[in-house]
Amino acid sequence: MSFLEFVEGPLFLFAAGVFVLASLWRFVGIIRIGRKKDISPPKGSAAGGFIAGNFRHFFPRGIFARRTWLHIVGGYGFHLGLLALVVLGAPHVAFLEDRLFGFGWTPLPRWGFILVADVAFAGLIVLWVRRISDPVMRLISSRADHIGSILIFLVMLTGAFAMQESHDLLRAIHMLMVDIFLIYFPFSRLFHGFTFVLSRGNTGATYGRKGMNL
Amino acid sequence: MQDCFDHPSPRPVSQLAALLLTAVFVLLMATGGGFAQSVVPPGNAVNLDQTFGPSAPRGTESASDFWRAFRGGDPNDLLRVLPDGRAMTTTGQYWRAFREDYITVKVLWLPAIAIVLLALHQLLRGPMRISAGRSGKTIPRFTLNARVAHWFTAVVFIFLGLSGLTILMARPVLVPLLGNDISSVLVSAALQGHNVFGPLFIFALMWLFVKFIRGNFFQIVDFKWIFKLGGLFGGHVSSSQFNFGEKSWFWMVILLGSVMSVTGLALEFPWLIGDLRLLQASTILHAIGAVALITVSLGHIYVGTIGMEGAIDSMLIGEVDENWAKEHHDLWYEEMTGKSASDPTEDTT
Amino acid sequence: MSEQNKAENRAEIAVAKFLEHTDAEAASFFDACVHCGECAQACHFYLNTGDPKYTPTYKLKPMERAYERHKAPFSTLKRMLGLTPSEVTEQELLEWEPLVYDSCNMCGRCTLVCPMGIDIAGTIRKMREGYAAADMVPEGLKRSAEFVRKTSSPMGVTIKALKAQIAHQEKDTGIPIEIDKHGADYMAIFSSMEIMGYPEVLGAYAKLFKKAGLSWTISSVAYEATNVGVQIGSAPMAKEILQRVVDAAEALEVKHVISPECGHAYGAIRWAGPNLMGRQFKFEVVHIIEVLDRLRREGRIPAGPKDGRRMTLHDPCQIIRRGGLLKEPRSLLDDSCSDFIEMKGSGITNFCCGGGGGVSANPRAEDLKLAAFNSKAAQLDAIEGLEAVVVPCANCRTVFEDGLDDQEMDLEVIGLSELVAQTLADT
Repeated sequence: MSFLEFVEGPLFLFAAGVFVLASLWRFVGIIRIGRKKDISPPKGSAAGGFIAGNFRHFFPRGIFARRTWLHIVGGYGFHLGLLALVVLGAPHVAFLEDRLFGFGWTPLPRWGFILVADVAFAGLIVLWVRRISDPVMRLISSRADHIGSILIFLVMLTGAFAMQESHDLLRAIHMLMVDIFLIYFPFSRLFHGFTFVLSRGNTGATYGRKGMNL
Repeated sequence: MQDCFDHPSPRPVSQLAALLLTAVFVLLMATGGGFAQSVVPPGNAVNLDQTFGPSAPRGTESASDFWRAFRGGDPNDLLRVLPDGRAMTTTGQYWRAFREDYITVKVLWLPAIAIVLLALHQLLRGPMRISAGRSGKTIPRFTLNARVAHWFTAVVFIFLGLSGLTILMARPVLVPLLGNDISSVLVSAALQGHNVFGPLFIFALMWLFVKFIRGNFFQIVDFKWIFKLGGLFGGHVSSSQFNFGEKSWFWMVILLGSVMSVTGLALEFPWLIGDLRLLQASTILHAIGAVALITVSLGHIYVGTIGMEGAIDSMLIGEVDENWAKEHHDLWYEEMTGKSASDPTEDTT
Repeated sequence: MSEQNKAENRAEIAVAKFLEHTDAEAASFFDACVHCGECAQACHFYLNTGDPKYTPTYKLKPMERAYERHKAPFSTLKRMLGLTPSEVTEQELLEWEPLVYDSCNMCGRCTLVCPMGIDIAGTIRKMREGYAAADMVPEGLKRSAEFVRKTSSPMGVTIKALKAQIAHQEKDTGIPIEIDKHGADYMAIFSSMEIMGYPEVLGAYAKLFKKAGLSWTISSVAYEATNVGVQIGSAPMAKEILQRVVDAAEALEVKHVISPECGHAYGAIRWAGPNLMGRQFKFEVVHIIEVLDRLRREGRIPAGPKDGRRMTLHDPCQIIRRGGLLKEPRSLLDDSCSDFIEMKGSGITNFCCGGGGGVSANPRAEDLKLAAFNSKAAQLDAIEGLEAVVVPCANCRTVFEDGLDDQEMDLEVIGLSELVAQTLADT
């Protein structure tokens, strides 16, 4: 078995397995900590608030825009760009078709792939350089925050390296980084990709009971 | 309070980043050879089997007639002929000769010389200290957005510089050192990475321009600065928010950066241009501009970090020590604080 | 027991409480925070000092660390591998104590800017449970707690003092106020600040309720609404204080208890109350603003001539943002003044006055409180020709008076009930 076959085959399956199982374990683990039932007479729906809270926090409030636009643009750029390049990049579509779904869809052309990758890179770099050059960020950032940023950066960078698709080694290194990322994800800060539903939802539910949509 | 918890101790983080990067590259080096047979030609590669021209030198057409006709023809005509697989165009010969004779190796002496000079300055004269010592009081110099714009450009610039040098040095340096197989992998990676990061630099350049244009216009005081060589060899130099060196660097980045952007776009999306001669010129300009920027950036990095005490603060926390401001940007200090920079009666300690 | 052991015990007590109060909600907050620092941009303590340590999420660090070390999923595994943060020490807890008590009003503005929607204010409230249990509480709050134990009021207001104020208001308005009236529909409770500082509110209640034909009373054993237990963060103390009100209301068999114009008192009895007591009450808790709004809509307290001064409204955090009463005060004001103008950022995104969450009862935090008021002063300053500000919270009111004095701003501060009573139709 070649190195590429290993990182795309058994190691990928292992990493994906760890990702799914550990994520489930942690997600359920957080919920299972449980909370006391709120018995104060409600004014509105907690369940409705849970859902509303999740959507409400996708949209930044105008009053904070002037102080936070950099972070908002960077954050959205990174996340949306990453989503687009994972889902629409031609090699990714081929990989997903081959390994997971059995069917594919129309990918972006090369220039489109570069464009969304650039949006993602730009966002990520903005988020990270903000982390090192803002006193607030320097104070509150932990090692895990930097590791998460650097890891996803390396995944994307090795992906960029492999874009010519002419060297198995470059593809293998990219896949290795993907595998490492998948394994690291559920144990780290990166897990915010799932917990945001709970945190927004819990706050939304609290406010929903009070008849507010914050 | 700041030291109680695991804070971004920059060192472990950068160490980790360096470790991961090194691991990637070591892996590349170690296994590159074994992967040689797995290399497949890229989709847009030239098919070397379809040759034309005097493949049978003793045939009906004489070689000199063929070459004469070829030179007089359309410069965009490709000739795929040479036994080692290189393709040619009529102008390509001159372009290749120029590039190999002057660009790929010789210009690299410039950054090398710069490094030696800076090292000598550091060893012989040492870093520029704040002569009055730190006052402990700070004044704001760069806003967060300006800092982010700067570091954004820095990250992209460093990455483009490293990958660009890899591309430039491939044949003269990497192939002899590492062999064809590993070099091929490295250059493929560098080129693709360079292509992805290239457009980011255009964005960074525009951001930088908007954020730093204020304060970067040349003034009379800058001429005095030139005569004293910026105080690198002692003596007091007056300057406002940015000194002559910084302003020159700013305009150099903007102007050369624009050249890099245009030529880079042409090289990344050649169908935008369609004329080989322009593309050939682009590679030359792109390489010269890059080496110039890299060379001067070394000086910028040196003065901004170890070369001058207190300078890095402005870009890390956005504030500088008052005494630093007085010594290096006295006119700006006076403008900011309304106090005199040279008046010894003003208490600043 | 040596000093060393005692010290460890305090940290252990706090950590145990942190963990006890880290429920699924707090856990989801800790596991969702990406340390993006946006919360700093919403916090008036950070905005007015520029000191990064006032970043809201930073204030939670010790509790977050305890959670990561002991309770988070995979914490056992990570602890075995040496990947969990170290144990929280007493020294760290003491360093964080001013952050937790002096620089957080639990106003919840940071939640609005948080991309993860994290309720930092609510988590600070849980964190204070650990501090209270370990007896790491600012002196000012401890003193308030002492007063409460003795007199039920954090300012030491006795029933004798209350009766004197009632008598005074009865004389002023000519309307009798019945104490301990069994079977009344409503029982009003007040904050000490109102009783001693703004007793006109008693007269306003009398006037409004007489007009509405509402049967109401004040209990002689449970007239105090403020709950220093909630501010300190001690559930047992909060419960004890609440118990008095619940017992008195249920003994008088009233149908409703009216929470006064006091921010945290409303949250304490309306939202936290039944959870603290572990049961639902036999009466309904209503805020005075809700009562007035209801009476107004039923036509029982018709509005008369409006106050013509240029006025704006301050939104007390615990009533508006965290209390859910956004529209009611505004509809009342529409009827009561002719030149009402909203301040910039009004409503749920409004700035806190800087004195909530026990900060105003904590003299150590005085400078910080006045600094935080800058944000409020700037909002007020931005309104041209402003003559008065309606502040429907007695605690905010005192903070406003301090703050305006400090800023040398000349502005009248009035309560909402008083304004509604003043602009009541004569007929």
